[in-house]
Amino acid sequence: MWTEKYRPRTLDEIVNQEEIVSRLKSFVKAKNVPHCIFAGPPGTGKTTAALCLAHDLYGENYREYVMELNASDERGINVIRETVKTFARSRPIGEVSFKILILDEADNMTDDAQQALRRTMERYTETARFILVANYSSKIIEPIQSRCAPFRFTPLPRDAIIKRIEYICEKEHVTILDDGIEAILDLSEGDLRKTLNILQTAASVGKPIDAEIVYSVVGKANPYSIRDMIFTALNGDFISARSKLREMLRKYGLSGMDIVRQIHSEIFMLDIPDKWKVKLADITGEIDYRLVQGANEEIQLSALLAKFVEAGYEIKRGS
Amino acid sequence: MSSRATYIPWTQKYKPKSLSEVIGNEEAKRKVLEWIRTWEKGIPEKRAILIYGPPGTGKTSTIEALANDLNMELIMSDASTYRTEEAVKRTAGRASQAGSIFGKKKIIVFDEVDGVSGTADTGGLREIINVIKSTRVPVALIANDAWDPRLASLRSLCELIEFKRLSVPEVARYLQRICLREGISAEDKALKFIAERSSGDLRSAINDLQALAQGKTKLTYEDVAWLATRDRKEEIFNVLRMIFYAKNSAMAKSAVNIADVDLDMLFEWIYENAPYHIKNPLELAAVMDMLAKADIYRGRINKTQNWAFLRYVIDLMTAGVAASWSKKAAGWIPFRFPERIKAASATKEERALLEEIGRKIGKKCHISSARAIKEILPYLRIILWNNPKMGKGIAKWLDLDKEMLTHIAEGKFSSSAKS
Repeated sequence: MWTEKYRPRTLDEIVNQEEIVSRLKSFVKAKNVPHCIFAGPPGTGKTTAALCLAHDLYGENYREYVMELNASDERGINVIRETVKTFARSRPIGEVSFKILILDEADNMTDDAQQALRRTMERYTETARFILVANYSSKIIEPIQSRCAPFRFTPLPRDAIIKRIEYICEKEHVTILDDGIEAILDLSEGDLRKTLNILQTAASVGKPIDAEIVYSVVGKANPYSIRDMIFTALNGDFISARSKLREMLRKYGLSGMDIVRQIHSEIFMLDIPDKWKVKLADITGEIDYRLVQGANEEIQLSALLAKFVEAGYEIKRGS
Repeated sequence: MSSRATYIPWTQKYKPKSLSEVIGNEEAKRKVLEWIRTWEKGIPEKRAILIYGPPGTGKTSTIEALANDLNMELIMSDASTYRTEEAVKRTAGRASQAGSIFGKKKIIVFDEVDGVSGTADTGGLREIINVIKSTRVPVALIANDAWDPRLASLRSLCELIEFKRLSVPEVARYLQRICLREGISAEDKALKFIAERSSGDLRSAINDLQALAQGKTKLTYEDVAWLATRDRKEEIFNVLRMIFYAKNSAMAKSAVNIADVDLDMLFEWIYENAPYHIKNPLELAAVMDMLAKADIYRGRINKTQNWAFLRYVIDLMTAGVAASWSKKAAGWIPFRFPERIKAASATKEERALLEEIGRKIGKKCHISSARAIKEILPYLRIILWNNPKMGKGIAKWLDLDKEMLTHIAEGKFSSSAKS
């Protein structure tokens, strides 16, 4: 996949985030790395920077000194207690005296696991350094934040993404038109991973990439619409809204949490009285909380949709 | 939830693997076989057949068994999936033109074509016609009623093949075969009784047999005779009616005692059917709220293993539902089987496979499996459609096996991965 094929291998290959790269290079030079938090939106090079740092620090065999864990897959406290500890406590052979543990999507770790991590970080600082990769550093508990050097990754500027697109197209012998580039930029929101996924998918069509191809492949990849589901409910058709919900959950692999958060972000864009926006936001919050508590996704979201049906009905009656 | 996932319907378990195992309708089966054989000599005049007849007479089984005999790849859609113009193009359009990814011969099947809905499946029938007109692989349509006016234009493009109701001895013989395999010694009279009741519908006969005989070593006429007075399906409907239209909370709560399904299952029935009965939006919201609250208590039971909370689940899902609406029946409304149960049992294995794919992608792309499923998989699917060569290259690099690849390309995942 192009996201991997064109993932930079060394810090020098990272074309953006100059300030961050220069700080990381100084770590390599000193052969010392503090615990770090890499925070920023998706697809801005956080994981890449962590891997490049490790590569430059340890050389080609850096994999032997690095452990990469994804907190969303292994977010329980037991992983921290066992896997992480086992890795962290042994001293590596070589001129660098510590190993690196990259904890991806660290903002998805439970609070318990974060507490356990905090102790582990303290105890094994000699032999292991942690790089926590997260979208929001605010979701990392305070005591960990205070032990880490913060790095803020910003969305890549348009020009940088355009350059990258053009570079890859040249390498892959793909023709892309200006409106194709515009469309990709429009849809990928500064996320380079998404950019490359869209680009590669559009290229697989086998024709020069224009805006139409881009919108068509992205439309096929995301054929569901939260907004559409909300409108269906507001118009009083609960049964169809529920079918749409089921499709999102089962067919497209969205989690209840994804859906509830996206519903929330749509509420204030709806053309309904403010009184109802606030009311629906309140109910959405309650459902969000229930999902966090482990309630059944479909049942809870159905109850939320029924509230939208009720709202649509009341609004039409003018109350 | 409950442990029903391990229950395999005998209709699945004893589905014919070869045409020789399909019972009855000899002439119809021969016609289907002959028509498929003509494809070996090139594209025949009629590129599609329309197989029609009452339920449970072996229409779908014949096609599936044949595909298996001739080692053909089945591209199948039935009424459980959307069949809009777009969906038909996606599933059948490409398949009807290109060779299979793995080089197998193909047959495209539209099951339950009389179930293609005019509203929900906009343009679906028209697109099926387009597929038939241009297809380079055999297309089989299956319907109960070939003379449905909506199928008129389809009909003229197809060779019509009729399946008739099975005779009582035919059905009884098949049931006997199942009993032998299950180690059940059954009285002829008992099997004949089930066969008669089925009016030539083998599927319903097998379902009845399983309900009556599973786990037994002997099946007597006495075991089955009560079927005449009592219908299992009716049972759950009565329970639901008692809950939805209860005169008071005591009556609603007592319904739980007479239900012969477990509570989780009863919950699913109530949740599925509530919106079909309760039409007033304010009342529907109140009822769904009751169910959501009952669900919270279920969660608390799970978390604490304190089963004393079960009483609150029951209160909310029965009396809570009944008390939240005005119970004005809007005419007779049929009860529907819970979708979630259908989906959950059908997709348990698929979910496991999907998660495995997510893990494999995640590992290579440095993201979690949930995000891989959400963010990468949809694109990989489209690459596979557009450019199988590129897609297969990626799949190889990701270390996805053939089964995974087929599943991705067919886009038939229908369950979510927990994040």
